[in-house]
Amino acid sequence: MTKCLELRNVTYRYEGSRETVLQKVNAEFEHAKVYTIIGESGAGKSTLLSLLSGLDTCQEGDIYYNGTNLRSIDRDIYRSQRVGVIFQSYNLLLNSTALYNITLSMSISESKIKGRQAKKQAAYALLAKMGLDRETSHRKILELSGGEQQRVGIARALAHNPDVIIADEPTGNLDAETEQAVLAIFTRLAHEEGKCVIIVTHSESVTAIADEVLSIQEGQLSKLRRG
Amino acid sequence: MYVIEHALLNLGKNKGRNSLLAIIILAIITTTVVALAIYNTAQTVMEETRRALQCAVRVAPQRSSPGTGVAVTAGGGQQEAAVTLEQYLAFASSQHLDGADVKEGGRNADEVDAVYFLKRPELLAVFEAELRDKGLPDNYSVKTDESTFASVAGPVESLQKLSLTFLLIVLVLGAVIMVLLSFIVIRERKYEIGVLRAMGMKKEKIALGLWTETIIITCLCFVLGMGAGSILSQPVSDAILAGQAETSAPGSSSLADRLNEAQGVVPPTTKIDIAIDPVTALEIFAVSILLASIAGIIAVSRITKSEPIKILMERN
Repeated sequence: MTKCLELRNVTYRYEGSRETVLQKVNAEFEHAKVYTIIGESGAGKSTLLSLLSGLDTCQEGDIYYNGTNLRSIDRDIYRSQRVGVIFQSYNLLLNSTALYNITLSMSISESKIKGRQAKKQAAYALLAKMGLDRETSHRKILELSGGEQQRVGIARALAHNPDVIIADEPTGNLDAETEQAVLAIFTRLAHEEGKCVIIVTHSESVTAIADEVLSIQEGQLSKLRRG
Repeated sequence: MYVIEHALLNLGKNKGRNSLLAIIILAIITTTVVALAIYNTAQTVMEETRRALQCAVRVAPQRSSPGTGVAVTAGGGQQEAAVTLEQYLAFASSQHLDGADVKEGGRNADEVDAVYFLKRPELLAVFEAELRDKGLPDNYSVKTDESTFASVAGPVESLQKLSLTFLLIVLVLGAVIMVLLSFIVIRERKYEIGVLRAMGMKKEKIALGLWTETIIITCLCFVLGMGAGSILSQPVSDAILAGQAETSAPGSSSLADRLNEAQGVVPPTTKIDIAIDPVTALEIFAVSILLASIAGIIAVSRITKSEPIKILMERN
């Protein structure tokens, strides 16, 4: 297995706060594996995901992606092409349709899928995998339920075929059937397509699919189980 | 390309906000059109009048200076040499002239009123030298009609200054309002910007998209504003000129009268015809785009400084 992401002495504190959320964290994430991170609320799980996905930067230490320091690469390109992020609060374009959220992501990432129609067809297929039909695809995000929005969020994260999938409570609003379908997709992406999947969760069913389970406690990341 | 498509889609999605922005921009453009049209037309009238009057040369004896006690007049057989009607008529044959208006009966019955129309204002010195050669005495002056110009130009100059002041106020206030409005609009769209940044869209592309939206709105407002401004410019100008005439000192004539006084010297004018020439339109377009761009850039530059996660966390 090759290293995909590596944290070296990563320390993070919020602006204006003396308290460190992450304290000299060292960890490695490999390709073709599913990782789950567990921990109490406020332990720093979401912060860790923000750092790994290039949405924020740490004050001390470094994060390496495929051996290259994140500080030295264009984080916009990293976010748009290398990483797919599934947010707990979805973070979708509310006034746009589900379909548009997906096709826009493809455009931003300069996806290999070219042409408006081809992108639409690919987006329909992705949304269908998430259990959303064409009629729902054409509805605005504001008109969708929480579970539907979450599924659009997952589809968007996968739209540009990223190397790393980072998910914050991705199944929190899904019914059991959809949750299993989504988890099956994550497992397949990791084990068959060599993606690195990192999931923050409180759900035991999600933890059950993990190759490695990590825990955050008092600013430290530790391995709980190796799959 | 997708940035432009995204901007076009957004225009339709945010009708309320964009309508408010459009109303403000439309008001600024309309008032700018009115002010600039009046300013430029007044400028043209001034230049044309000045040119016309500079071509009209009056040959007349110099009046006595106060305190000298020496009276110098023409045609009256006084102490100084006088120019006869025949001489005045002979002067009219100069090749530097387009025409002349020589008639008896100036201020006194025996005086001659002679106005010569030069082909170009620059020929004044050559023409005077020619007249001196032809025997025009030194006590006679060869001058353009400055007093008529001053009486005509006064109100037009006031109108021009007024329109310029108005224009500056509109532009300064407009710029301030635009910047404030842009801040409000961008704040409202902070979440959307955060989502786009989180998706990996570059700051420059987000700024380009927002700028494109503003520019499209500005262009639409420009077309409407030019129409509204063209309709409003003439009545506004007429009202200001009427006000000028009313506020003139008792006994003084109106601008129209003063322009008519110069009949034969300048074409008779009863009012200023306000026109929006292509240069004025271009100026207005440039000013509108500049204002919209400055306002947009200031607002966008503030918002894109934040890390995307901070923007999203604020909202969530």
